[in-house]
Amino acid sequence: MRKVHEFTCIGCPSSCELKLVEEEGKKLEVTGSGCKIGEEYAIKEFTAPERVLTSTVRVENGVLPVLPVKSEKPIPKKLIREAVRELAKVKVKAPIKQGSVVYENMLNTDVNVIASRSLEGKGLGQ
Amino acid sequence: MKDEKLEKKVKQFLAEEGHLQISCSVKDGIAYLNGRLDNWEKVVELGHGIGKIKGVEEIVNDVTSEDAVKAVTQPRTKLSKRLYDPTLPKKADVVIVGGGVVGCFIARELSRYKLDIVLLEKESDVCGGATKANSAQIHTGVGEKSGTLKKKLCVNSWPLFDKISSELDVPYEKNGLLTVITKDSLPKSIPGPIRKFLCEYLIPIPVWITARRAKDKPKIVRKGKLLKMEPDLTEKALIGVLMPNYGIIEPFRLTISLAENAVKNGARIFIDTEVTGINVEDKKISGVVTTRGTVETDFVVNAAGVYADRIAEMAGTREFSIHPRKGGIILFDKKTDKFVAHQLNEFKLPRNEYTKGGGVLRTADENINFGPSAIEVPDREDTSISREDIDNILKKYATVFSDFPKKLVIAYFSGVRACTYKEDFVIKPSKNVKGLIHAAGIQSPGLTCSPTIAGMILEILREEGLPLKEKEAFDPICKRAAVFRELTLEEKKNIVAEERLYGNVVCRCEHITEAEIVKAIHSPVPALTVDAVKRRTRAGMGRCQSGFCGHLVAGILARELGIPLEEVTKKGGDSRLFVGKTKELLMEG
Amino acid sequence: MDVDTLVIGGGPAGLAAALSANKNGIKNVMLIERGPELGGILPQCIHDGFGTVIFKERLTGPEYAERYVQEIKKTGIDVKLETMVLQIDRDKRVIAVNPADGLLDIQVKTLILAMGCRERTRQQILIPGDRPAGIFTAGVAQRYINIEGIMPGKKIVILGSGDVGLIMARRFSLEGAEVEGVYEIMPVPGGLTRNLVQCLQDYEIPLHLSQTIVDIKGKERVEGVTVAKVDSKMKPIQGTERFVPCDTVIVSVGLIPENELSEMVPLAMDSATGGPIVDEAMETSEAGVFAAGNVVHVHDLVDDVSTEGEVAGKAAARYVMGELKERENPTKVEAGENVRYVVPQVIRKKSFEENVKLFFRVKEVQRNVSVKVFSDGEKIYSRKERVVRPPEMLSVSLPSSVLEKTQVVKVVVEKE
Repeated sequence: MRKVHEFTCIGCPSSCELKLVEEEGKKLEVTGSGCKIGEEYAIKEFTAPERVLTSTVRVENGVLPVLPVKSEKPIPKKLIREAVRELAKVKVKAPIKQGSVVYENMLNTDVNVIASRSLEGKGLGQ
Repeated sequence: MKDEKLEKKVKQFLAEEGHLQISCSVKDGIAYLNGRLDNWEKVVELGHGIGKIKGVEEIVNDVTSEDAVKAVTQPRTKLSKRLYDPTLPKKADVVIVGGGVVGCFIARELSRYKLDIVLLEKESDVCGGATKANSAQIHTGVGEKSGTLKKKLCVNSWPLFDKISSELDVPYEKNGLLTVITKDSLPKSIPGPIRKFLCEYLIPIPVWITARRAKDKPKIVRKGKLLKMEPDLTEKALIGVLMPNYGIIEPFRLTISLAENAVKNGARIFIDTEVTGINVEDKKISGVVTTRGTVETDFVVNAAGVYADRIAEMAGTREFSIHPRKGGIILFDKKTDKFVAHQLNEFKLPRNEYTKGGGVLRTADENINFGPSAIEVPDREDTSISREDIDNILKKYATVFSDFPKKLVIAYFSGVRACTYKEDFVIKPSKNVKGLIHAAGIQSPGLTCSPTIAGMILEILREEGLPLKEKEAFDPICKRAAVFRELTLEEKKNIVAEERLYGNVVCRCEHITEAEIVKAIHSPVPALTVDAVKRRTRAGMGRCQSGFCGHLVAGILARELGIPLEEVTKKGGDSRLFVGKTKELLMEG
Repeated sequence: MDVDTLVIGGGPAGLAAALSANKNGIKNVMLIERGPELGGILPQCIHDGFGTVIFKERLTGPEYAERYVQEIKKTGIDVKLETMVLQIDRDKRVIAVNPADGLLDIQVKTLILAMGCRERTRQQILIPGDRPAGIFTAGVAQRYINIEGIMPGKKIVILGSGDVGLIMARRFSLEGAEVEGVYEIMPVPGGLTRNLVQCLQDYEIPLHLSQTIVDIKGKERVEGVTVAKVDSKMKPIQGTERFVPCDTVIVSVGLIPENELSEMVPLAMDSATGGPIVDEAMETSEAGVFAAGNVVHVHDLVDDVSTEGEVAGKAAARYVMGELKERENPTKVEAGENVRYVVPQVIRKKSFEENVKLFFRVKEVQRNVSVKVFSDGEKIYSRKERVVRPPEMLSVSLPSSVLEKTQVVKVVVEKE
């Protein structure tokens, strides 16, 4: 059965409204795109949409109570919700260096989640 | 006049007005009304109508309407025990119910004497009711109806504020009221040229005379001089009357200083403490029941604002009804202060007989205000402001200007006046319960009259048998902590060197420092909420409306009170700023 | 105390300006920041997308900030944190204060203003109703979540579909809150399409166009809002009201350049941008006083902010060294058809650089247009654009030599 999927392209300010027609998972055609970027985007969004995950994790003994983190690479969009729940379990100890791994191999994607910034420790006796 | 005769008069009035479904009885000069009308507006109109009948002392209006029934108010009973859990004394010589400007003034005056004074306030801070939504003018009485207690007290009250503001260190500006008379001051039904003549040559005279009678020193100001005094005035202005003794005060600071001074002199103030019952034995006050326990006492001063009639009812006596009248005020960015030098109002006939009409005010902190409006509402807790009210206020008060930058609104709020149907104060002992003294029905000029009301209450208490023995050690002075933004450069330099926390500017709009906030939190009447800190320091009153300082104030409150950030509230009770730490909702679900 | 170049504001504009002044020869540079760390708004912008132009990478806000902060550490720039500037004047005397140093009285040779913006409040857009706890502007909510680690609410209604509001819709969702919807008074959304997709569509958060909040209800905490449809004049349509229960209202209705200090000097201001009038060297109406970043006009890309800061720093250095001539009879820049504003508003003769870059925003969405520039009526530039939108800033680069004799240069956007 033929199905039409709609996407708004984010490649440039034109924001073309794309339509991808597929049958049984096989892409038939992409319409509405003003350029190649749009076509590739529609296919990617349909077959394997990915997103970079950015969030925070709790910190122990830091000058701030939370640390911003990001996934080094995009991960499958459908894993985002679960990934965020995984990150909610994490508690890192300050001091932390920017770029250090905070969560290894998120949900078997081989993508690490790293610290977005450095964070100092609170110091002794505080 | 005897009750029978009065009742006949009232029933005749009801019949003439076609109110066949309204029943009434009169006892001790008080008219008790029952029945149902279509809407609240009609209920209020009826109360006012009966109030005008000669001989009617007060009205208890139990007439309902559909919109009134809907607006049944539930006073808050949640207590923040962790934060504030004082022990109420078992006994007191006087219990004051209500921590508005009137209640606090009474407490302060009573603290001159050797008495155990307890003041109970149900909100999480003093001035939690109408006092905090006040336009804070010090009226001279010129706008009050002759023969009212409001007028009598007001005329004698305003001269006291030089001393009061000095003793209590309260910002007070005597910037004067300029009543502007324009071509539109009389109704348009009067033809143009005659109207202009009357406005210019006739109207100033009664205005001037009334001001004189209020002990002011009014001056007639001709157009040329008017525009020099207020260069942004409308071209339509013809003439003005300046009342130089009209002033404006900082209402929160006044109330808080009164409360702090009362506490300094031995009174005890309990916030977050609500009266739920009044004990009466043999028609005499014997105690007050609160959410924190019972206090035995022989004297209760009823300064409970919009709930004054409910307090009286708790003591088993119904002597007046409060009908709430809401009023909105709009505040502008301080940049607009160059548009206004005095308080301004535009003379307009016909007048709403129950309000003075409000005006444009330059506050003691140099913000410009428009308002207040006056809207009868059935709900005593209705401090909402409607779009209609905002638009009307912006339109009405801008007419006195040629071009006021109305876009520069930074805040608006609304408060509820506690009005009786006689539209006058009720400062008298209860007719039926000995020891219950009413300081009720406080509407404008309530704040101006607070000193003389307190004076009257003291006399009544004395007459009712409360022994008033003066203390030798009464200290009338309340000094504010140093206000950083008011200091000179040299003073600023010194104070930061002495007290490090004066160097941390928390509220950028108003240059308020951490030192001032910490002091407010630990003051004799402590600030336990964001709004209480705001009232004492002004943090959050600037143009960004705590966009910058909000998180800093919340953090300081949490730190100084030893509570987690999640427990900081805006105004006590359930008004938490936050719902918990991040991640908690994820862990739940 | 004497300082050659004082930068007020340690966000991206100020960081770039301080580094640039230093790199261009000024050793005595001071940077004053009112917060406890450098970076301005960047530390709380934990999403990515920053630096695509300058670093050719998609960095998060904190990562972008750290690039500059690391550079600053390598220099001798005097950084004063938790320091508030109280006043400035045209004599370039600056009074600031902090707990450690006390009152600072600084005489400077050049000033660079980089104070950024503040957010438009609920009160400024006159939303009626009660005043309960639970009403936050989007940036404040962002700070609470991303820096204080605290949740402003559980059931959220967002007013405004600009990028900050959209980002917060996603952020709230990712922290377990329910975002009931985003309400936008205009008939078109205010933010980038990327954010509409990745912040709303991804999370199935409805976007309600041509709707606004007409009442907020709540005695102590927000209990709900009333939303309504609006007409073409943006006035609520009677009868379309709907009550939405919620406990939090996020107001995301625009940024206002923070120019209290600028007005103390006073500087000539542009009412269309909300910021001071500047030339291409980022110099204001006061010689030796420069401004850069969101304090001049609200930007979309932080890369542009850094570039402006860099220019201001360079110009300030030249000024200190006596190499920046006084601005004489500058070219006036005008905003023409469908252009809301252009920055810079004036251009120096014998210009500062080889090329002058004009930044501008359109008033309304248009498709298939031409961007044209006229010099005293003569067309000197033209290019086509498929679509132009107010939330997406545009620019035109012109060789300064072309404008040497020009009195008025005008930027126009018109349909083909």
